[in-house]
Formats: sequence, structure tokens, C-alpha cells
Amino acid sequence: MSTRLRRGQAPTRRMAHIWDASRCIACGACVMACTQANAPEMMFREEKGWKSLASNIRRIDSVSPHGRPELLLVQCQHCENAPCISTCPFGATYYDTDGRVRLDPARCAGCSYCVTSCPYNVRWLHPDNKLPKKCMGDGCIDLTDSGQHPACVQACPAMARDYGDLNDPSSSVSVTLRTKRSRRLLEATGSEPKFFVVEGSR
Amino acid sequence: MTPADLHYQVDVAHWGWSIAWFLWFVGIAGMGSVAYYFVRRAPLAYVIFGSLAIGLLLVVSHLGRWWNLPRVLWIMVINLDFNFNSWMLIGIMMLSVHLFMTLFIVIAHLPFLTNRFGWLGWTKALNASNLYLVLYAALGAGATVYSGFLITQAAGVPLWNTSLIPVLWVISGSVAAIAVLELLYVFGLVDARVSSFGVRLGMGLDVLKLLAVLGFLHVALSFGSAGARFGAELMTSGEYALMTWGGVIGIGILIPLAIGAYTIFVGKSKPLLLVSSVAALAGVFFLRAAVLLAGVWEPLVL
Ligand code: SF4
Ligand code: SF4
Ligand code: SF4
Repeated sequence: MSTRLRRGQAPTRRMAHIWDASRCIACGACVMACTQANAPEMMFREEKGWKSLASNIRRIDSVSPHGRPELLLVQCQHCENAPCISTCPFGATYYDTDGRVRLDPARCAGCSYCVTSCPYNVRWLHPDNKLPKKCMGDGCIDLTDSGQHPACVQACPAMARDYGDLNDPSSSVSVTLRTKRSRRLLEATGSEPKFFVVEGSR
Repeated sequence: MTPADLHYQVDVAHWGWSIAWFLWFVGIAGMGSVAYYFVRRAPLAYVIFGSLAIGLLLVVSHLGRWWNLPRVLWIMVINLDFNFNSWMLIGIMMLSVHLFMTLFIVIAHLPFLTNRFGWLGWTKALNASNLYLVLYAALGAGATVYSGFLITQAAGVPLWNTSLIPVLWVISGSVAAIAVLELLYVFGLVDARVSSFGVRLGMGLDVLKLLAVLGFLHVALSFGSAGARFGAELMTSGEYALMTWGGVIGIGILIPLAIGAYTIFVGKSKPLLLVSSVAALAGVFFLRAAVLLAGVWEPLVL
């Protein structure tokens, strides 16, 4: 079980998410599974700011310059230099020993500073309790603490998602990142994201 | 062209009008404290106190989980765990100290309190102490700078990630402080000597503010990332163009400049001063509102 990282302590694991754009079939199952696992009460409700299903995975549909439909899925990148942790005035947003960025609701006053501080726009305010929700929610924390994969990884029919430890060279995510072409989003912000978009074989 | 992934921070994070008012009140109180060092008049102290109190109330009322605040503070204190990396925490602490320092000054100006309760006499000593008032002015300037860094630190909104914002906030806060002095003069609450402090200085600051606003927009449009550029476009030719050109520049800068010129060449007119100070204060508010509302995230897909 992961716990809150103390000041100066290094995480024992560096858990990361992978989304393989070259395999994804844009079915949206991961987006739905995320809501169902982490905020089932939002299953039929909209995140008004995003104008989409309230989920910790944000779906961006676009059209390429050649007229081809394109998809990008984003979620909390569990940044290693997370702006949302620097700015949270009350220490409600924190690192756990698995290197994940977590939220302690007892310490959150709902100021939204973490929302405006996230370069990826992946936090949304829950309309009922005003908590700044994001990946990973309580449902997925429970799943991973019991040794299972997060809901999105389990739901994906195309094996386009993975979750694992970057510190372990034999983990499936480390192997994928060694063998496939991948990129991280908005690296220039210096947030050191741990969400990798796989683009195909090397 | 509108990016496929365009989101306004105000729709998702809800930093909207109440935060704009908060920043406005902090600007008045902050730079008002610097003005207080020079003029030391009771009505100005009352305005600063009121602005700080309303500003702090606004910020607390904006908290989505304000009811959890006592528990949050309690946990922080018992664990001695304070995130001094957060400008919001630093700023709220500064504003709270500032509020108390202002309260002492306000009490010093209330003879019915200091005469009745002799033990409050120390507030008069504080109010007469240059050291105290220098510290007070410094804290005021610091609070204004803080209100700039507060949004500068919000890494999600590239339009705000520039150190020009604290500069802009200090200049416009100074404009607001001078406008408050003019208003107090118009209502007969301070004498003409105090008000004459303002006209030329106010005009100089208006020109500086104009340059700073144009500089801020130019930097975002020419050198900013796509998100910064889009935000600046919203301010110059998009949804908030009227607020920028009409409110920030027309009402907030050009009207006070024209009335300032009239005052210098023709003479002081209270009705005109009233118009110019209200316009300047409105412009300072429009500036904060436009910058906040035009904040968008960096598009991940163009
Ligand atoms: S992606 Fe956003 S919410 Fe997640 S750790 Fe990074 S800054 Fe924080
Ligand atoms: S909303 Fe909660 S978690 Fe986010 S910065 Fe404010 S207190 Fe911290
Ligand atoms: S479930 Fe898998 S295939 Fe479907 S959208 Fe999500 S990542 Fe793509």
C-alpha cells in the first residue's frame, strides 16, 4: 500500500501510464470505465467546462491537416515536478510512495489553484463535493493496491493501455518504452510528466 | 483559427469575477498602504481596511469547500506542514498580517476608542512610527506583487506565466490608490494638498500602465506559446476586446489622462475628478477581469 511521501523521501516506485496511440481504436471504453470506477455518480453527467463526460480521461477529437480524424487521450501525468503540488496552499495534493500525485480530501478547501496550475487541463471540479478530481481516483487506487491494473487498462479491448513501474527495467511499461517510439506532452513546461504516448515501433 | 482543444480556465477552474474583484481590492489596499506612508490620513486607512476585509471575504467565499477550511488549517498547524512554495499560502498569510497592521492604524485614528480604552494608546505610537509605516508600505507593495505572482504561478494558463503581470498589477494598483485619494478629496474627506499629490503622478502612472498593458499583449502575441497567443487574441480582437480597448484603455487610461491634462492646464474641477477617479478604478478592475477571463489552457492539439 502506498503512503504519503515525506519531505526529502524518494518514491520507491515510479508508476506510469502508457497510451498507445498506434493501437487505440477510439472506442472510448477507457473513458467510461474510468468514470464508472472512480465517480460512478457522474456516469450520466457532463463536466460542464470540458463539455464531455466527467471522467479522469479527457478525450480530444480533432482533424489532421489531411482531413483525417485524430484522437488524443490525456489524463493526469503524475508529473515528477508537479505544478499542482507546488501551488496547493494546504498540502492537499501530494506524492505517494509509488510516485503518484494524489489528493487528500481532508486537506482540500476547493480553491482550484491545482486546476489552474495543471498544464494538461486534466483536473475537473466535482459538482457535488467540489473536489478537484483527476486520475487516479479512489476506485483505481483500490484496484492497484490490490495488485490489479487500473480500470482503463482493464477495459481497453485493443491493449492500448498499460500501467507500471519505470524503476523496474523488466516492467511491461519499461519494455514498451525501450522498444517503441513514444513522446511526452508539453515537456517544455518542466513538469516531468509520467504519461507516455506511444506512436509505433522504432 | 480555433484550436481543437480550447478550454477557458473560467469554465473549468472557475477563477472568474470574484477573483477579479479580490485582485482589485488587494491592489487598492496594497498600493493604498504605500500612499498611506506619505499622506497618513484616516479615511485612507478605513478604505484600506475595508478593501482588505472584503478581499479576504471574497477569497474565502470563492473556496468550493470553504466549510472545510477550519479542518484544513488545523491539520496544517498540528503537523507544522506549510507549503511555502505556494503563492496562495504566502499571500493569504501576508494579507492576514496586513489586515491586522491596518486594524491598529484604524484604531489609532479613532479617538473615541483610544481615549476610552487607554491601553490602546500603543496603536497611536505605532501610527506615528516611521519604521512601522515603512514596514506597512512594504507589506502593501508585497501583497500587490503577490496578487500578481498568484496567477503567474498557475502553470496551466500560459497567458499568465509572465513576470509582466506583477509589474502590471503594481502600476495599476498605484493608479487605483491615487484614484482613491482623489475620490476622498472629491467627497471632502482629505484636503486639496493631499489630492495634489496625485494629478501629475497619476498621469505618469497612466502612461506607464498603457505601455505595460500594450507590452504585455505584444509579448504574448509575438513571443507567447499558442495558449498565450490565443488568450491575448481574446483580449485584443476576441470576446474580451471591448473590455480591453473600451474598459482597460478607453475608460481606465484615456479618460483619466484627458481629465488630468485638463486639470493641469485649466484647473481642478471636482465633478471631473470624480469621473476620472471612478474611471481609473473601473479600468483597474477591467484589467484584472480581462486577464483572468481570457486565460485558456495550452492546446494539446491545434
Ligand atoms: S498532470 Fe496536472 S494534475 Fe497531474 S500531476 Fe501533472 S500538474 Fe498535477
Ligand atoms: S483545490 Fe484542493 S487540492 Fe487543489 S490546490 Fe486547492 S486545496 Fe489544493
Ligand atoms: S479503451 Fe483502449 S482503444 Fe478504447 S479509447 Fe481507450 S485506449 Fe483507445
